[in-house]
Amino acid sequence: MANVLYAVIQIFVIIMLAPLVNGIIKKVKAFTQKRKGAPVLQMYFDLLKLIKKSVVVSDVSSWIFKVTPYIVFSSAVAAALLVPVTTMIMPVGFAGDIILMVYILALGRFFMMLAALDTGSTFGGMGASREAMISSLIEPSILITLFTVALIPNSTSVYQIMGSMKAADFPLIHPVYILTFIAMLVIIIAETSRIPVDDPATHLELTMVHEAMILEYSGRNLALIELGAAVKQLVFITLLVNIFIPHDQFISIAGIGAVAISLLIYLIKVIFVAVVIAIVEVSTVKLRLFSIPNIAALAFILSFLGFLQYFILGR
Amino acid sequence: MQINSLSEQGTLLIAAITLFLLAAFAALILIKSHKLCNIVSNVICIIAAFFGVAASVIKIFIDNTSTHINIFTSTIPFISIEIEFDKLSAFFVLCLSVLVICVSIYSIGYISHYYGKRNVGLFNFLYSTFILSMLLVMISSNAIFFFFAWEAMSFVSYFLVVFESEHVENQKAGKLYIIMTHIGTAFLLIAFMIMFSYTGSFDLRGSSTAIPEFAKNIMFVLFLIGFGTKAGVIPVHIWLPRAHPAAPSNVSALMSGIMIKTAIYGLLRFVLCYLHVENTWWGISILCIGIISAVLGVAYALMEHNIKRLLAFHSVENIGIILIGLGVGFIALAQKNEFLGALAITASLLHTFNHTLFKGGLFLGAGSIQYATHTKNIEKLGGLIKKMPITALLVLCFSLAICAIVPFNGFISEWLTYQALFANIIPGEAGINILSILSVAALALAGALAAACFVKLFGISFLGRSRSAAVENAKEVPVTMNIGMGILALMCLAIGLFPTLFIRGVDKVVSGMVGTSIINQLQGGFIIAFYPLSISGNAISPLVILGAIVGVILLAIFVIRIIGGKYIERKYGTWDCGFESLDSKMQYSATGFSKPLRIVLKILYRPRREVEIEESASSYFPTSIKYKVSTEQIFEKYFYAPILRVLKSLSRKVKFSVQTGSIHAYLVYIFIAVIVLMLYNRLV
Repeated sequence: MANVLYAVIQIFVIIMLAPLVNGIIKKVKAFTQKRKGAPVLQMYFDLLKLIKKSVVVSDVSSWIFKVTPYIVFSSAVAAALLVPVTTMIMPVGFAGDIILMVYILALGRFFMMLAALDTGSTFGGMGASREAMISSLIEPSILITLFTVALIPNSTSVYQIMGSMKAADFPLIHPVYILTFIAMLVIIIAETSRIPVDDPATHLELTMVHEAMILEYSGRNLALIELGAAVKQLVFITLLVNIFIPHDQFISIAGIGAVAISLLIYLIKVIFVAVVIAIVEVSTVKLRLFSIPNIAALAFILSFLGFLQYFILGR
Repeated sequence: MQINSLSEQGTLLIAAITLFLLAAFAALILIKSHKLCNIVSNVICIIAAFFGVAASVIKIFIDNTSTHINIFTSTIPFISIEIEFDKLSAFFVLCLSVLVICVSIYSIGYISHYYGKRNVGLFNFLYSTFILSMLLVMISSNAIFFFFAWEAMSFVSYFLVVFESEHVENQKAGKLYIIMTHIGTAFLLIAFMIMFSYTGSFDLRGSSTAIPEFAKNIMFVLFLIGFGTKAGVIPVHIWLPRAHPAAPSNVSALMSGIMIKTAIYGLLRFVLCYLHVENTWWGISILCIGIISAVLGVAYALMEHNIKRLLAFHSVENIGIILIGLGVGFIALAQKNEFLGALAITASLLHTFNHTLFKGGLFLGAGSIQYATHTKNIEKLGGLIKKMPITALLVLCFSLAICAIVPFNGFISEWLTYQALFANIIPGEAGINILSILSVAALALAGALAAACFVKLFGISFLGRSRSAAVENAKEVPVTMNIGMGILALMCLAIGLFPTLFIRGVDKVVSGMVGTSIINQLQGGFIIAFYPLSISGNAISPLVILGAIVGVILLAIFVIRIIGGKYIERKYGTWDCGFESLDSKMQYSATGFSKPLRIVLKILYRPRREVEIEESASSYFPTSIKYKVSTEQIFEKYFYAPILRVLKSLSRKVKFSVQTGSIHAYLVYIFIAVIVLMLYNRLV
């Protein structure tokens, strides 16, 4: 029973919430630019419209191009299943950990890059090639960061990590977590195609990475990919907020009310991170492609120092 | 031969050896008829390999004793053919046999392009003896016999490397291979001599207690260099990316899939089982070599556009990953942490088996591409998925497996390696924890770069528009070739989905060596739940995840169908910015694809670019542009070239000052030699 409830809450909350995060980021960006901006719910309307439209498929492409949207979307959702939005519901036999999460997301990325090459378009190749570079450079930092936080419960299970962080009340006052927290924030920006690594609003060949890969997609295929990207972004944000800013230890009641309160606090935390990402986006500029290694190096150094801190300062 | 006292797996093993011999001679007898010879020889190999599978499965799962067979003892001391078949040997024989079954099925179709052109009988003779020599390496019981089998393996594989000898680069590759492999063998020979001088025996199952500490250290270094050369670890890897592409593809699959693993077998047999790991630095040095090989191997693979060279560099990478597991295991065993040692060695052995499957499959895939298009250069391919759909699907499976992507087998062994590294961090011993986290980073980097590399391999050669006429005329390969690859792909998927079944077998092998079983810590049939050292559990279930992925896909299709109605598709050209004449040259090339990483890692590649522009009246419309980019092989330039230079100048000096050609000088040399010998005899 708990398993089913958990899965339903995970899938429902993450898929429903994911487009909202994009809406909030766009709204905050518009606000700082003294524009009115699109409604916060705009992405939901876009997705609905896209699903209803017919699909244009390049005549060069193969079946890879058609299955990719489904694989990208479902791998993001499968990764979402491994990252609890609330620790109030404990599933029985939790069958995944951080390493699995990273490699499930790799499945989506692998097919995304293949589909980009499938249409024989220069844009696609360009996007895939850049994505390959960025993801390779950021991957070591992701695993070091996750392994560092996994050291406290001595387990790579996301559930155990979040549980052990709850015991610490406010983990962010500890220097180990400040460094890994910032590293994680940098990783999120790089992984979710945000400024300064990539610009989600651009369609200029000099700057686009993720947008270049999905240039050939239309209709429901595009909707799935956009939603998949939003889900992936929310997975990373959930990982960040539920590990570094745990909140379930402050809820003293039990039962269904506790779950509702927990989800509400979770929502507030997500909105907070969305605003932070928006502020980072408006206050920096898109970097040159070959300056991105510097960002990756920054993330690596932060995560590595965080790891060293763990052993020097202890916990 | 003491046939009557043999157990059943001993009989099966002898049957396998006899059949491989039979296959070799059948090839020679039927040398006149190419087709018959090829089919008969390969079928016998398949049957022999089935015997090998049966023998090793019985040995691993049922029999706990070690089978000793004394086939032949000569009157010359130490020269005897003795077989010792224990669980470790059985594990490697299983790897070999499984791969041989698939490769031989594949060869029935693949060798057909040699009919009437080359000596198929000779090829099949060499092929069967090559398999036999590898089998003997894995089951030999004394160091002398091991050495003979090892040399036979090197020589036969040399002949296979130079089989297509009309190409100059194949001859060069063969020469480099035979030199490098003999340098490695020389180190092994010295180690065997040290072994004999202390124990007075060449028996591999004997006791090493008589060998003092410092001699053990020296032997370890010798074994590491000797076996490292065969495994192709960096910096002694230079033969591997040349020799593997030169051989016919089915032989490359065997060489990359299993021959380089004999070195892993050697390290386990000689260092772990014979010497017993006592020093932490042994493990640390293996771990460091593993990290360097994993990262640099994949980094060099990224710059290759010859499909088989690319795969050969990936073998370097995967040997690195295997060595990372092995290194952690040796560190843990030296510190008497047997549980972690068992876990790490399980990870490393499982990766050995996995790599045998997917790398064998990838080389066969490369062979299929070469068979259909007659080129190994991926810049000339493109759009093959439409011409060869089955090959494309199988190569995609192997690519996902090698990139450690769920739900394939590569992920399982890398997960175990990550867990071993993680468990190695936890005690917090200074130095080792930093080394372990750096290994984690290296493994992650290697994984991501491998993904980039296989996106390049698959994307450029199978997707997009075709880049040459060779692809236009390509047809799907004979069905036996796809069957051979298909079995491998199914096994990759099976291990990925039901890992515990396979880990159970590996665990029996490891517990036979280390004495600790980890299977009690792994729970469930479909879930790997791993509970090390009374810590809270880590669990993954690839099957559940695959179920979730499929479930979400079905859900998405269902929901979209309800909201969006029927699926309406329109075919149209790729977006061309209104240019209206996109062609295959405007696609991204493999060189272009790897350019960002080439620039980021330029300290490693040192790329050089030459651009020649032939201008016409207007500089905006040049008549031709030639663009050439080259990367530098730093090990060859800064490590091997200086050594070679010194060697050459030395030998030139020797030629002019010692080997003068004057008979008087030679007489003096002989005289001095005699005096020295007499003095030595007198003094000792």
